[in-house]
Amino acid sequence: MNFSRVLAVIIRHLYNFKHNLERLTDSFYWPALDILLWGITTQYIQQANQKVSNLVLVFLSGLIFWQVIWRSQYEITVNFLEELWNQNLVNLFATPLRVEEWITAVFSLGFINMIVSVSFAGLVAWLLYSVNILNFGWLLLPFFASLLIVGWWVGLIVSGLISLFGKNIQSLAWAGVTLLAPFSALYYPVSSLPVWAQKIARILPSSYIFEGMRKVLSTGKVPFVNLVISFGLNFVYLLLSYFFFKYCFAKSREKGLARLE
Amino acid sequence: MFLVYNTFMPALEVKNLKKYFSNKNWWQLRKKPVVIKAVDDISFTIGKGEIVGLLGPNGAGKTTTTQMLLGTLTPSSGEIFYFGQKFNEHNKEVLKRTNFCSAYIGLPHRITVWENLAVYARLYEVKNIKERIEKFLKEFEVWPLRNKAINQLSAGQKTRVLLAKAFLNHPEILLLDEPTASLDPDIAVKVRKFLLEQQKEYKVAMLFTSHNMHEVQEICDRIIFLNKGKIIYQDTPTGLIRKLKKAKVKMVVIKAKDILERYLKAQKIKFYWRKRMIIFRIDEEIIPKALYQLSDRGVRYDEIEILRPTLEDFFLEVANK
Repeated sequence: MNFSRVLAVIIRHLYNFKHNLERLTDSFYWPALDILLWGITTQYIQQANQKVSNLVLVFLSGLIFWQVIWRSQYEITVNFLEELWNQNLVNLFATPLRVEEWITAVFSLGFINMIVSVSFAGLVAWLLYSVNILNFGWLLLPFFASLLIVGWWVGLIVSGLISLFGKNIQSLAWAGVTLLAPFSALYYPVSSLPVWAQKIARILPSSYIFEGMRKVLSTGKVPFVNLVISFGLNFVYLLLSYFFFKYCFAKSREKGLARLE
Repeated sequence: MFLVYNTFMPALEVKNLKKYFSNKNWWQLRKKPVVIKAVDDISFTIGKGEIVGLLGPNGAGKTTTTQMLLGTLTPSSGEIFYFGQKFNEHNKEVLKRTNFCSAYIGLPHRITVWENLAVYARLYEVKNIKERIEKFLKEFEVWPLRNKAINQLSAGQKTRVLLAKAFLNHPEILLLDEPTASLDPDIAVKVRKFLLEQQKEYKVAMLFTSHNMHEVQEICDRIIFLNKGKIIYQDTPTGLIRKLKKAKVKMVVIKAKDILERYLKAQKIKFYWRKRMIIFRIDEEIIPKALYQLSDRGVRYDEIEILRPTLEDFFLEVANK
């Protein structure tokens, strides 16, 4: 692993971020709009139905935490797509850059941009609805880490598929991760899902994370079982997604990276 | 002992390289696959400081070969050695010592020229990044554009930035895919001069593809001619031209056109008219004899031009075959 090359890929995308208004929109506009919309909606529901406690907090926290998965997977897939859109993939992989170095770079970018987006979303939620996720301090940090890993492995799977099938399936960069959302129990408990959907939820680390986070928000205690299961599943999926991406990329090389541009 | 070995070691050696593509995908179970032999068992070497042209008509396998040499396309079989090292086993070390430029490839278009080169300099682990970037931006006359985004540059300016990128890491071998395709003639001349200087001064080896035959003739020490994935000729530019024995004859005929036409038809020589001028190709060796025979039969002309074959003629002859 050469960190000069890892840094080069990180800098390349940070430069792009600096010059590209669209990427700023992704990081700030959509999270702010989501929070505004869902904040108003949940406030209205809360007023109409006083039985459900902490509805705004639960909804907005779910929304903010979903940003962790979304941002980290989005950075991986869109940064891969950026190379295709710019006809830069051949240039890039004709250098000594190794696939592992590229993965390390985009993982780091996912982390950086997740911090930026989540901090901004948290700030908006606090300013508009006085919902402060920092009140829970370090308790939520392990969940954040686990969510970040979910974003990484989803990003690797989607990027692997894009490396095989090219820009034809580029919408997966936006749509791929949302497939997990209904089964991740973002705003509701897993038990409220239909039985078949519960089975899917049980094999997704994100469902354990969101359920665990809701417990932290309501009781102030960390449910370690949820945390351990989510990390265990994440470890397996991250490993599998790494090999999947490597396999897809090698297959893509057999057909030629130039065809993707 | 090591130094002696290095001196004679080719910069690039390709052995029995093949790339076959199948049109069948894994989900098309019933489809009968058609195998396309894009590159079919080619072998060649490029010596240190040698410039080799890779020529051939469209679909000959030039780009496929270049992509395999860059490591962005996996060969079906065969071996590639750079500096005596197997490419697939030492690709990281090898790619540090090579570089590549193509007029048909992009750079991140929203970021500036300087930023792009700074990224690539880091990828190639270049030391003194600022000096290297400045040197080559000035060399290719794009220094004033350093703070402009790539998408604000013309095609020619972009090509010059790509050339600057190609020299950032002191490459010992360069793969150049039509590097002068979009350049103005004066800049193209400067680029060719620069490439020859690099060859002389630093013994940079180059594999050069171009459709500009004049350029190939001027710059290349040797030419590899590909057709349908196979090497059909490998020689110096002069050697290739010599294989084509026919010269082009242009004649402004003033008397006995019909006799001339009959003579050429009898000799099975193809000809065509351009106003009063007849143009045909004929073996260089028999030109004196043919002109004597025509004169003897009463054919008169007031202008004659005999053009020796060029590399372009060779290309057309082979491509048309």
